[in-house]
Amino acid sequence: MNPIAFIKEYWRILLLVLFVSAALVALFVPGGVMDDDTLVEEENESVDQGVTNLEYGLGLDGGTRISAPPVGMSADIQIEPEQEREVESTLQDELGVDAADAIVRYHEDDNRFTAEVFAEEVTAAEFAAALQEAGVDVDEGDVDNEVTQQTRDEIIQTIELRINEAGLSGGTAYQEATVGDGYYIVTEVPGMSPAELREMLTERGDVQIVAYYPEEDGNQTNETVLQGEEFANVGSASYNDQEGYHYVPVTVDDAEDGDGTSPAADYQEAMNEYGFTGEGVGQCAVHDRETGEFDFDPDAPQWCLLTEVDGEVVDAHSMSPDLGESMASGNWVNDPVFQMIVPTQQDAHNLAVNLQSGALTAPLDFEQEQTFSLEPALADQFKTYSLLIGVLSVLTVSGMVYLRYSDRRVAAPMILTALAEVVILLGFAALIRMPLDLSHVAGFIAVVGTGVDDLIIIADEVMDEGDVSSRRVFESRFRKAFWIIGAAAATTIIALSPLAVLSLGDLRGFAIITILGVLIGVLVTRPAYGDILQRLLTDK
Amino acid sequence: MGYFDVPEIDYTRYSDRQLAAVPLAVLGVALLVLTGSFLLFGTPVQLGMDFAGGTELTVQTAESEGEIQEAFDEEPESVQSVASEENQYIVQFASTDQEALSEQAEENLQPDSDAAVIQQVSSTSASFGEQTQQTALLGIAVAFLGMSVLAFVLFRTFVPSIAIVVSAFSDIVIPLAFMSIVGIPLSLGTVAALLMLIGYSVDSDILLNNHVLRRGGDFYESTHRAMRTGVTMTVTSMMAMLVMGISAWIFGVELLSSIGIILFVGLAADLMNTYMLNLSLLRWYKFHGVAR
Repeated sequence: MNPIAFIKEYWRILLLVLFVSAALVALFVPGGVMDDDTLVEEENESVDQGVTNLEYGLGLDGGTRISAPPVGMSADIQIEPEQEREVESTLQDELGVDAADAIVRYHEDDNRFTAEVFAEEVTAAEFAAALQEAGVDVDEGDVDNEVTQQTRDEIIQTIELRINEAGLSGGTAYQEATVGDGYYIVTEVPGMSPAELREMLTERGDVQIVAYYPEEDGNQTNETVLQGEEFANVGSASYNDQEGYHYVPVTVDDAEDGDGTSPAADYQEAMNEYGFTGEGVGQCAVHDRETGEFDFDPDAPQWCLLTEVDGEVVDAHSMSPDLGESMASGNWVNDPVFQMIVPTQQDAHNLAVNLQSGALTAPLDFEQEQTFSLEPALADQFKTYSLLIGVLSVLTVSGMVYLRYSDRRVAAPMILTALAEVVILLGFAALIRMPLDLSHVAGFIAVVGTGVDDLIIIADEVMDEGDVSSRRVFESRFRKAFWIIGAAAATTIIALSPLAVLSLGDLRGFAIITILGVLIGVLVTRPAYGDILQRLLTDK
Repeated sequence: MGYFDVPEIDYTRYSDRQLAAVPLAVLGVALLVLTGSFLLFGTPVQLGMDFAGGTELTVQTAESEGEIQEAFDEEPESVQSVASEENQYIVQFASTDQEALSEQAEENLQPDSDAAVIQQVSSTSASFGEQTQQTALLGIAVAFLGMSVLAFVLFRTFVPSIAIVVSAFSDIVIPLAFMSIVGIPLSLGTVAALLMLIGYSVDSDILLNNHVLRRGGDFYESTHRAMRTGVTMTVTSMMAMLVMGISAWIFGVELLSSIGIILFVGLAADLMNTYMLNLSLLRWYKFHGVAR
């Protein structure tokens, strides 16, 4: 037989062999087919790689997942570009919220403005009223109870930065849409407890330097002099050996902004104006380093620079003589660097993370959260159990098929074909690095179930009405069987496709695996089974 | 052929009405159960944590079930030990304050050797659950609608197509009533099982319709052939699901066990619906409907 005729005759079986071998390569060859880590950002698998290239999700590997929607609302507004700041400050004043909690954005791609407020206590009516106060024509009905996509993107980015900076690999953050056009921010981190992850997500991470100084009448006052985005460059948590303190080196932004001065120049000016660089040098005693407590009712005038995170004072310092001198002379702005000193190494680390990742644009609403967490030990048990459950199910199916046909020629290839389907699917999962969860295991078992159903249809149809005498008879019967299988596959795919699209957590994996399995079954494995059966039955 | 063979049923002994009466009566009872439950409890089926909100902890502790009951400020809804693991318990609460409950567990429960007390936490707030509920309802509705449209496209005649739709409907309603009676709460796993049922159950209906309508030959002969294949298929799947359901239950893997049990019940209902309800409709169509 020449090669072309051979391929023509056996192409279905050859295709199956090809798929199974490709799957085996993807599963077992170290590094896998795609030995290219650009698809997945952070990898530490080389350290703890198992026998296969399969990746496991939270449900089989342990870790924590928290889903919660962002707090806030937004409205499309029509304003002139120069009104942006004005609307923002009107919103802050009218609603009594922090600067970070009321923002106006310009969306370049579709040339429009949106206003957003991130505060739980503000109602849509109040928001609309405040906007009207700012001269924007908006009523309550125009307010969208969701923050903008940009805000969600920023939140996700910040969370991912925080996960990376915490030194944990494999963590992700993404958004998930709900039916009522709302969105949840989902964060998954292996190796973090719910409490730790919750803390990381709760912390807004809004860092400010506040000047605490006496006004002319002698009363102490607070004034924010530097905040989040005004830091251009943030170093990592460091320790000063000689003097024994923890700090984070920072560079203040010295690029000129709209009003012709840079944040660094503004800062220097404020320090000089408030007296920090003159009489105030070294004059700060509100922080008791022994007890870690702050005393904001001092006897003598104080010139302190307070480091605040989310409105809470972390540390307080006086201006050092060196720094004061360089500011007073106006030279500091040329090299606007200083050290933010904090009490402990942990504080320094947190501060660096907060400064580097920036603040969460909007806080998350934990009233509407969902938390899932699994210990790695139990996850390991689940892995073993799923394997066992899968094996038991396959054995049951095999037993039933054998009982029914009691003909090894029919039953053995049937079971092997069904297993080939699972192997191909697993290979595919390894190839695209789909993290497997319990729901995927359910999908695999469902695939074996539907697979065997279809193989039974093929076998019965082909062996119907006595022996298969010729190839032509076989082909025509096989085609009839295939109509039923195709129709059945189409219904299964239709029934499960909503699950593959909707955000129903665990179920998406189940639906995707089942749909893929049905497709692979109908296109590859089940036709091949027909060919195998034909070889065995027609005794050519 | 084979150790187990599908018996040939003498359908000529029963009228269409007799055949359809049984599955329709069961469907009626199922609907009655669901309505009753709706009137009494506000939902047709008890909603699980995924939909109603709540917290579930899997704890590993040296203490007894009774002591676990006492360990929390809030009384647990249920404490269930995991059959395959000694000293492992699944504790459910109506409260969603996952943090407080975890703290109480860690404070008040004696660890079992060096394993962590809290092995698994999952907590869903009520409003998150409500979202999930709406999403799941939408999913089921879309799936069912899609399946119905496809049935009509495939057979292009009213009676056989509606027969598929009705029996698929009944295949979903009967397991729902079963859940309501036995007290299996509706969870994401059971929703997946219900959707899977739409896929599975239509298989055998399509097979039957196909044999009867698209092939020549005697009605009873075609029916018997379709049954031989169809019953083998369904019984095989039922067995696989039963084994999966029971083994997963023993191992404490909830998702898999609920999928298994619901599919088992649903497929059993499907056997009845396909070979009594669908068959009687088809027979009526074949002998009376076409002539009109």
